[in-house]
Amino acid sequence: MEGRAVVVGVGESPYYKRGGASESEFQLACIAIRNAVADAGLTMADVDGFASYMDRNEPVRLSNALGTGDLHFTGQTFGGGGNGTAAAVALADMAVSAGYAECVVVFRSLAQGQFHRYGQAGKSRRAGGSAAYTAPYGMLSAAQICAMQTMRWMHDHGVTQDSLAEVALACFAHAQHNPRAVRYGSPLTREEYHASRWIAEPFHLYDCCPENDGAAAIVVTTAERARDCAQPGVPIVAAAQGLAHRGGGAAFTEDGFPTAHYDLVARQLWNRAGVKPADVPVAQFYENFTGPVLMAIAEMGFCEPGEINDFVANGGIQLGGRLPINTSGGNLAEAYIHGFGCVVEAVRQMRGTSTCQVEGADLSLVVAGPGFAPGSAVLFGRDS
Amino acid sequence: MTTTETGPLPDDWTLPRLGRVNTEWFTSGKLLVQTCNACGTRQHPPEEICHQCGSMDLGHTELGPNGTVHSYTVAHYAVNRALADAVPYAVVLVTLDDDPSIRIIGNVIDADPGEVHIGMPVRATWVERSDENGTVLLPQWVRA
Repeated sequence: MEGRAVVVGVGESPYYKRGGASESEFQLACIAIRNAVADAGLTMADVDGFASYMDRNEPVRLSNALGTGDLHFTGQTFGGGGNGTAAAVALADMAVSAGYAECVVVFRSLAQGQFHRYGQAGKSRRAGGSAAYTAPYGMLSAAQICAMQTMRWMHDHGVTQDSLAEVALACFAHAQHNPRAVRYGSPLTREEYHASRWIAEPFHLYDCCPENDGAAAIVVTTAERARDCAQPGVPIVAAAQGLAHRGGGAAFTEDGFPTAHYDLVARQLWNRAGVKPADVPVAQFYENFTGPVLMAIAEMGFCEPGEINDFVANGGIQLGGRLPINTSGGNLAEAYIHGFGCVVEAVRQMRGTSTCQVEGADLSLVVAGPGFAPGSAVLFGRDS
Repeated sequence: MTTTETGPLPDDWTLPRLGRVNTEWFTSGKLLVQTCNACGTRQHPPEEICHQCGSMDLGHTELGPNGTVHSYTVAHYAVNRALADAVPYAVVLVTLDDDPSIRIIGNVIDADPGEVHIGMPVRATWVERSDENGTVLLPQWVRA
């Protein structure tokens, strides 16, 4: 069934630092969706479905406010966060490929200046569920969780702090070409990276995604309808979501710890697509934190864990390198829209309109939030 | 063995909520690891059903107090205002020497954060803490 659904529109709101948006989170969602639908050359009446992950802007309200057509599909993925970024695109692929809907908007709107900040945690008198085993010990934030995974992974495979830095340096370098990026005009040096304060060892400030306000959206439709749209269609070649057997243990008890939860996703994705990692010339790896990105690069099969230092060194993951990643600046330096900016950028790479365009690229990968299960990934292709 | 050391976090910091499966873990003052009465599988954290055979007849096995730091992080940023004076503090992931498949989160309450490292030998201890909901014996770690 894969390959039948096509991305025909992308759009975003302006991206802001946390608290910088004058628009509400719901308004940001509406702006991004309108922009994506207009980009496709469609009207809101064409939209008949919504997909997202962890979003609080409900399709019922969006449909009323935006004046969509009759809705035939709505869906969100399960799971703890940005690991659903690509899985939400897969939901739209499934709905369109199976004929449940014809024109599905996939979106994420997140204004951390208006709601809970992901970098902070509340104080409860008593913590229940799996948090009972972590919160009383001060293990509270996503940064701390990924730090615990990364520390052991670096130990096991001899990964250096400089390799973590390479992810941040690639993102900031690419953002300097992207006027939409929050960090456009604010380059980062290796010295500034190493001098920045610790957040949760081994993560410095620049290993951690920022808190931003903004929204991003794409429009997914059938190959047949894509032919009448304003932009060249970008086919969804394959997508995958995965949680390995016993891979979801609470409080770091999962089999395979430390894992980014991408071994199973990789096996499915490459099998479905009929390609191998070496065929992929550009990728967007959701950076919650730099360490899990390195883990995901290895688990997706681009190199062995023990080869990661060499893989990312000397511009290996920057434009012109063996695998340019996060070519818009990514979560770290474009904006943290819970990773959906990575999806928009991956589509732009296939249109040839990225601000860091990889010339001749014919496949474009998105790997969703690593370190949290289930993981997901999506591979886009070029219109042929 | 309980201790009068309280560790790096404030005395009124969050405690575990006791429920159907975790009361023994947080009140016994022993490493009572949940064990399936049907198939003998050990699992931690405790669950309402055996992950191996599906039995809901679950008991406990007491394991020895010695463990090894498998991973850790040092939190420098206080994610809650109440932790502003506690940072930097280390959080450790300990594997039990009796059964390394059991991993437990905690703090090494008699070590500075800079002393904590992977492979560090530690020993379990218990910190008594109370609030209006009652008393818990929180499993913690000291240098071995």
